[in-house]
Amino acid sequence: MKIGIPRALLFQFYYPLWRSLFERLGCEVVISDQSTKNLVQKGIAVTVPEICFPIKIYNGHVINLIEKEVDYIFCPRFVHIEKGYWFCPKYIGLPELVEKTIPEAKLLTIDIDCRREDTADLKCYLPIAKKLGIPSRKFKDALKGAISDFETFRGLCIRGLTLDEAAEVMFEGKKFEDFKIPRSETTIGLLGYIYNVYDPFISMNIIKKLRELDVNVITFDMIEPAMLLKHRSEETRRIFWTFPDKLYQAATVMIKDMNVQGLIHITAFGCGPDSIVGKEIEHDYADSGVPFMTLRIDEHTGESHLQTRIEAFTDMIKRKIRKVNER
Amino acid sequence: MKTSFPHMGCVTGYKKLLEKLGHEVIMPDPPSQKTMELGVKYSPEFICFPFKVMMGTYIECAQKGAELIVSSGGAGPCRAGMYPDVHQKVLSELGFNTRVVVFDSMFQDFHAFYEKVKTVKNGTPNRKLLGLALFCYILIKKMDKLEKRMKILRAYEINQGDYSKAWKDIVKMFEKCETIRDVNRTYKRAVDIFEAIPRREVKENQRIRVGIVGEIYVIMEPTVNKNVEEILNNLGVEVENVQYISDWVEHNIMPKWLPFPKSHRVFRMSDKVAPLNCGGHDKENMGWVHDFARRGFDGVVHLMPFACLPELVNLGKFPAISEELNMPIMSLSLDEQMGEAHVKTRLEAFTDLIKSKHYAKQKASIGDTIGSAAQSAARKAHSKAQEVKDNLKTAPAAPIKQHAK
Repeated sequence: MKIGIPRALLFQFYYPLWRSLFERLGCEVVISDQSTKNLVQKGIAVTVPEICFPIKIYNGHVINLIEKEVDYIFCPRFVHIEKGYWFCPKYIGLPELVEKTIPEAKLLTIDIDCRREDTADLKCYLPIAKKLGIPSRKFKDALKGAISDFETFRGLCIRGLTLDEAAEVMFEGKKFEDFKIPRSETTIGLLGYIYNVYDPFISMNIIKKLRELDVNVITFDMIEPAMLLKHRSEETRRIFWTFPDKLYQAATVMIKDMNVQGLIHITAFGCGPDSIVGKEIEHDYADSGVPFMTLRIDEHTGESHLQTRIEAFTDMIKRKIRKVNER
Repeated sequence: MKTSFPHMGCVTGYKKLLEKLGHEVIMPDPPSQKTMELGVKYSPEFICFPFKVMMGTYIECAQKGAELIVSSGGAGPCRAGMYPDVHQKVLSELGFNTRVVVFDSMFQDFHAFYEKVKTVKNGTPNRKLLGLALFCYILIKKMDKLEKRMKILRAYEINQGDYSKAWKDIVKMFEKCETIRDVNRTYKRAVDIFEAIPRREVKENQRIRVGIVGEIYVIMEPTVNKNVEEILNNLGVEVENVQYISDWVEHNIMPKWLPFPKSHRVFRMSDKVAPLNCGGHDKENMGWVHDFARRGFDGVVHLMPFACLPELVNLGKFPAISEELNMPIMSLSLDEQMGEAHVKTRLEAFTDLIKSKHYAKQKASIGDTIGSAAQSAARKAHSKAQEVKDNLKTAPAAPIKQHAK
């Protein structure tokens, strides 16, 4: 049995869990190729023009998996992973959206509606066992194993690895020590969802580029969950989307506790929650003295544009630090 | 206190309620191009269109001195639930001393809901408040009923503009109402006014009907959707809109398991293509599309603000659904750049399409009935002939021969 997982949306965050689960069930896991211009164009061609860029990329990956002749494409519907916090409406409608735009896709869908961050609630995942004809006891054991793998993975992230690096440690036999985490004077907080930061087509390897400029990068997934939610009770009206809220909390923690020197908000064209979260961060931390830059990316964004902007931004921050030190 | 509210749907009702609670009401103007420009200037760039229009309205009201703005909220994954927070922040950034009070669903947090009621009710006793709410609800309900009727009758008016003019007078009449009896009397008078307007007669099978679905603010506010309903009516098409304030209130107050109001049943009709609601009215809208198809409507116009999250999910499904149900669906995504001529041209083309489809279907169905009648007649004749033949075969041949002999 070949199970395809599209390398898009929340893939990088949950990949270790899903891969570990399906491999323990004895399935072959096929992952779509890295986003390329060609792959993305295929997605754009079938999707409604108005929808946000990440969904177009997702459809491109689904088409890629169909070309690879997988038996099922794993496309979970995210609803809740925390009480009172939702996912963006496009996640909730995602399986139908894919089905209606790409009728050839054979989807393996589950509803993720639980109260835990790793999503591994047996109730949510059991439909897979039914569909693939796996006895539920065997499935339970596999899920348990997958959960412990996911915990190791998150542990690696919190020690400072990016999601990609942590996944390499998990599955490709590399060691934690293999990755040099640069320690430089300047620290920049990179705010952006999983797909904005880790999809090389959207982010154009922004983490690598920033590290080359001798800057420490912190993303929200490197912050411990307990620390991340420290300031949540201080809000006026809660932001009721899971990941946008994490982003906002991350910005709060980075400014109040981690003393970052700058914040970069990377967002995809047409992102709904970001239009609100961006404004909230901009408004609430206008007086904090931390420079804030928004990078909006779509299918027409050029790499040199991004390079120029982050270079200018880091130069500005470094000059500011120098000035403060001279005084 | 000087109080205001966003301009949406039947504003007469809100005005009446706030006035009776002892507020000085600052009436918001229907959003104009200037309002939209003002809103766009001070809103986040990629936020949805209703936010920008409401922002413009709020700023205009604040300039007129409003101290309190009352609106409704949400807690779902749709961005509308975050409106008040951002509105408030922008207003205070601009230096206005205006408070935005938002009523969330009372079933989620009744305590917070009641606290807000207290700030708005201005010391009115609860029993009186309930009476006032009931009065305003009945007023809105009657006005919505008339509006629904107008959108059907206006398609057949002989002198264009009669109904819209009459409607303006009727709104003024309702504004003078003080008691429920007044409302009922005015309603009857309004029905008479509507009936007295000259119309052309249309046969039942020549009625062209179009349903309007979409995001609640843009389908309710004619100035925002560039008068889609009136344009369609003027093209001789009956229009049924799915959202009215009274229906919305009923939908949210009644328990979901009850079979009424109709929107509850419609909500469940889309279970197959939309198992979960994505926040706004997308599941309900999908249900309405199925309902319109079942009732034999000729087409559906889908209105959405640019980049509206829940409606985008619907937009992605509509091409496939339209084919499945054999019903044309036209989506218009609206923003501040939208011009009236654009809307008009597209609606004219759409109307032409559905009209020709309607008549072609009718011809085909007439042809079908004639064809099937002829076929069944032929079949009958054939069977009769067969019977006769059989009879002839089985008829005793011998006696005839005997006679011959």
